[in-house]
Amino acid sequence: MASLDSAVAVVDLTKDFGEIRALNNLSFSIETGEIFGLIGPNGAGKTTALRVISTLLLPTSGSVKVFGLDVVQEAARVREIITYLPEEAGAYRNLSGREYLEFMARFVTKDKNRFQDMVNEAAEICGLGDRLKSKAKTYSKGMKRRLLVARALMSKPRLTVLDEPTSGLDVLHSYHVRDIIKRYVKDNGVTVLLSSHNMLEVEHMCDRVALVSKGQIVAEGKPAELKERFESPNLEEVFAKVVGFA
Amino acid sequence: MLRGFGNFLLKELKELIRDPKILLGTIIVPLIMFPVLGAVMSFSVQSAQETAGKTVIIVLNHDNGAASSEFITYINSSLRVVEAHVATIADAVPLLAENNATEIVEIPADFTRNVTARIGVQVKFGSVYAGSGLFEGIGSSVVDALVEQFNRNIAPDVVVPEKSAIVKGEIVEGVDPRMLSSLMISQAIAMPITMMILLSYSMQIAATSVAMEKEEKTLETVLTLPMDRFAILMGKLSGSIIVAGFGAVAYMVGFNYYLGSFAAMIPAGANIDLVSLGLVPSPFGYLLLGTSLFVALLSALALAVIISSFAEDVRSAQSMVGYIYPFIYLPSLALMYLDINALPLAVRIIIYAIPFSHPIIASKAITMGDYWTAILGIVYVATFTVVIMYIASRLFATERILTAKLKFKGLRRGKKNATEELQ
Repeated sequence: MASLDSAVAVVDLTKDFGEIRALNNLSFSIETGEIFGLIGPNGAGKTTALRVISTLLLPTSGSVKVFGLDVVQEAARVREIITYLPEEAGAYRNLSGREYLEFMARFVTKDKNRFQDMVNEAAEICGLGDRLKSKAKTYSKGMKRRLLVARALMSKPRLTVLDEPTSGLDVLHSYHVRDIIKRYVKDNGVTVLLSSHNMLEVEHMCDRVALVSKGQIVAEGKPAELKERFESPNLEEVFAKVVGFA
Repeated sequence: MLRGFGNFLLKELKELIRDPKILLGTIIVPLIMFPVLGAVMSFSVQSAQETAGKTVIIVLNHDNGAASSEFITYINSSLRVVEAHVATIADAVPLLAENNATEIVEIPADFTRNVTARIGVQVKFGSVYAGSGLFEGIGSSVVDALVEQFNRNIAPDVVVPEKSAIVKGEIVEGVDPRMLSSLMISQAIAMPITMMILLSYSMQIAATSVAMEKEEKTLETVLTLPMDRFAILMGKLSGSIIVAGFGAVAYMVGFNYYLGSFAAMIPAGANIDLVSLGLVPSPFGYLLLGTSLFVALLSALALAVIISSFAEDVRSAQSMVGYIYPFIYLPSLALMYLDINALPLAVRIIIYAIPFSHPIIASKAITMGDYWTAILGIVYVATFTVVIMYIASRLFATERILTAKLKFKGLRRGKKNATEELQ
């Protein structure tokens, strides 16, 4: 059950798109400093949940609070303490990587020193080196994703919402991005909510996970607990058992 | 034959023809637009002919001999003659309005004597210049034709017309209104063409800029940033205005050279100073004109932003914005040739209702010192702009900016597709 003192408290969240119910009384909570994963197949409602929490979509019913702030009533204040990385996010083609980071940093601070620290930190996180001077349109998918992950983390937000952070990346790039997130989060005490349909990946990153199917949470807990509870070697099999495939 | 060409061409044709945006933009719109344009042109020519036929000319006959009677009969065959018993053209100017006249002729006392003797006689003509369009001065042309016809029957150059323009009730000696029309062609053509290019160009920029955020998947990130959503809208509009402004300046510089070729056609020594004639807007007039242009531009851009919000990519956004173009082109072309006051009431209402007509109407009105027409136009377009801006800001303030998607095969299906993607 979601607690109102949590970093994120989602209570009975329902979201309808016309006749289609994308989320159906979804409830969960995330503690401060935790990496929490929403996992499930495509179309389960993960992205919709992340978009509601990130103030992009309005809930049909239910409530969502981020550090006590209501995402509907206090959306502007929520946006000040979160960052959101959409699944298929892009960078501005004609801006260089550094210009993109500077553009984003200007929304966060007016202080020159903090601004510079933020951009330098992002440069270090993404590890793009001199390529930061090149226009984003010349980047590979992996480079772009690293830039965007760095953007999401550089301001040390209280909550960062990452939708499929390693989407479309090859093994090495995925490894690098996962490593960045884990390291940065632990070092800076940032709370992370991420989604993935790659359950094996999430298993190694998240402190706790919620399995989502058809807009509902079907199981929730620490990866090790879930595997033990469902007597499965990995989360993929846990999910299959929960939804009745195995 | 290239291998595979036929098959590929067939696929291309199927894809292009089945794309409703292309079908509508490339085939249906021109099918509607050009007949309408043809109707406008035909109406404008017809209207010019009717105007010429209805021209009322005030005749001051100081001669009262046989030749002057014959001359008046000639004029009467094509124009409606009103005889007035005043001394000079200047005295007849106040009579113009009450008789709905646009021409004055003063036949001198020695007309019959000189014509009979085949000696050239100077006849003074005054023609009203109202700056209404490209066919301005048609009355003056009819007078020329009549004089030529009269001379052909009597003797070459027996009647020598001495022309003056009547601008805002003042007589400008030695200036033919047709010359003024040539000079004022920039007023008649430049503004409508500027409007067409500036508006369509800036709408394309605004639509591309919104659609690009969607296509490049940057919009979602921007919408979660700690910034005012209205600032996104204003940023898009301002950026488009600035870029389009540069485009307009570049265009106007080029167009100025183009107009130079018209100026070269004006007879040397004509030495017409438009400023002294009051045919160049005052600083206040320029301010009104600038305001009118700005609000019209803003309304067009806000409209483009709204429309492109329903597009999934840049190509669709540009096609969708194209549906607005007839509303820019038709009034621009119509007002290039026609005086709005000469149009039937229904057409006038339609043109006044289209916000993009107003800067053109304002430019003509301001030149002739009619500021109220410009001010009322600005108020109307500003109101329209506020409504459009409000809709655009609501679109950006809510999730509609992400979920809005327009499908030509039915809104319902489009909505479902959008929903599936959102999940």
